[in-house]
Amino acid sequence: MRRTLLSLALVLALGAVLVVGIGKVASPPELLRSYFASHGVEETGSVNLVSSIYLGYRAFDTMGETVVLFLAVAGVMALQGGRQ
Amino acid sequence: MKNSELVDIISRKLVPYILLFGFYLISYGHLSPGGGFQGGVVLASGVTLLCLSRGVETALRSFPVGRMGLAESFVFFAILAIGILGLLLGRHFLGNFLPLGQAGEVPSAGFIFFLNLLIGLKVGVGISLILFALLREE
Repeated sequence: MRRTLLSLALVLALGAVLVVGIGKVASPPELLRSYFASHGVEETGSVNLVSSIYLGYRAFDTMGETVVLFLAVAGVMALQGGRQ
Repeated sequence: MKNSELVDIISRKLVPYILLFGFYLISYGHLSPGGGFQGGVVLASGVTLLCLSRGVETALRSFPVGRMGLAESFVFFAILAIGILGLLLGRHFLGNFLPLGQAGEVPSAGFIFFLNLLIGLKVGVGISLILFALLREE
């Protein structure tokens, strides 16, 4: 019972800190956002701005993600699918 | 494992449409919400439905593991090749070297369309391979 109360108090305190912190945080950076919104379509030719960011401006990052997926598949196959 | 008729028939009719929707999401990734990752996961969900309703062995007959592993590795090399091609054609690594075209048309956005195709294929094949390895019975 005491442990539950302690955990509850801890969670509530953490939640209060987060709520206050989110309220006090500075506004998100506007420069990059407005740049993507105004130049993204003409620079990458893609109407979908999400696509134009993750395959246009940050294609290298996306290539890293495909490496992560490749390693995950290799790991699962090595652990589970080794027997054919 | 014996399934009911209902699961059997519904899944058999539904899987082609799920795969078609996955390819739609991939090929319209530069125009509408969606893209390579999402469309690939939808493809893998179609394969999963096939696995769960008809058994892994049946699904493996349509999607052999050897070829899917080959596709997984080949697509990664294709992405690397596109990146190095951009380097050779005077842009940076993974720079867009194709003409951008009219924004909003289906063949537009240069190589984003092709990268979406490759990544969709890679994600679909990869998640399907993980599922095959996890769902296969002894």
